[in-house]
Amino acid sequence: MGGVLAEVPALPLHEAGKYVAGAYVVLFALVLIYVAIMAIRLGRIERELGELLELTEGTVAAGAGPPDSPTGDGEFARPGATSA
Amino acid sequence: MYGKGLRALSISTVAVMTAALALVFFYAPLEAEQGFLQKIFYVHVPLAIVALCGFIAGAIMAIQHLRTRDPSWDMRSYVAIHMSLIFGVGTLITGSIWAKGSWGHWWVWDEPTLVSFLIVFLLYATYQPLRFAIEDPERQARYASVFAITAGAFVPLNFIAVRLSTAYVHPRVLGSTSNLPAPMALTFVVSLIGIALLYTTLCKYELTAKHARAQLRALRRRLTGDGATAAPVRRGRSAAPSTLHPAAMMTARMTAKDGL
Repeated sequence: MGGVLAEVPALPLHEAGKYVAGAYVVLFALVLIYVAIMAIRLGRIERELGELLELTEGTVAAGAGPPDSPTGDGEFARPGATSA
Repeated sequence: MYGKGLRALSISTVAVMTAALALVFFYAPLEAEQGFLQKIFYVHVPLAIVALCGFIAGAIMAIQHLRTRDPSWDMRSYVAIHMSLIFGVGTLITGSIWAKGSWGHWWVWDEPTLVSFLIVFLLYATYQPLRFAIEDPERQARYASVFAITAGAFVPLNFIAVRLSTAYVHPRVLGSTSNLPAPMALTFVVSLIGIALLYTTLCKYELTAKHARAQLRALRRRLTGDGATAAPVRRGRSAAPSTLHPAAMMTARMTAKDGL
């Protein structure tokens, strides 16, 4: 193995280019896959928001406001925003 | 909460990454021994450094979680480790490509730096299954924090052990940047900042997305009236941490106890 790891001459540009391109494409692909996953999540959130909007419109049309109750998820409720 | 400053951070990341790429391909000189192949150095090494620092950051956040019992620290620790694993995949792939171009082999088993990084990566690869194996969210968070701290302590120890080993075949970076010519050193530092910014931005995106989902769930419960019982909703088994704040959990339990 020592022979393999010994100093080897630099690859010419036309040979090294594909390895360098490969490495940078890997980074780009990782970011792209992550962005694609985030886009799917965003689509899901948008769909759920639409459902909730429809639910709210239905409640308002029926003449009743949303139930006045604690959410149970205090981390995400604004501090001091408890309804009277 | 988590989305604050995300826009500025995203813009900075794109700007620094673009600058880093420009410096790599138009400014940094070709290395005498490896030639053009050495350009992989500017992506592989920052990815490795940021991934390892991310594991340590995850451990520090886990300490905070055990100290304060605040689930948001568990969430941060989870996201830091999750993102470091992704960056770890990038490190292993880019390293293998470099090894193939430089040594003619995709992987060399008797090279301590490569194998030690693989060991750290495989150690952290068990983090998600560990979380998934525990159903109770509080116990899951506690055990995951203990794991993150233990594994986090292993990272610098592993790094030092590799440094002390005699087989100095892998190119040295930390401690020898002073030997780099100024244009190369500048390019490396900008690349490192760019990758670190990318890591931070992606972590913030992840946290914001999880936060938004939790808010939606809370809103849905409120609108459908399920929130009237104020009892924490039992989730399906998941490796992702619970995001319920302890104060809210206590309020919810007290409200449920009062029969509201």
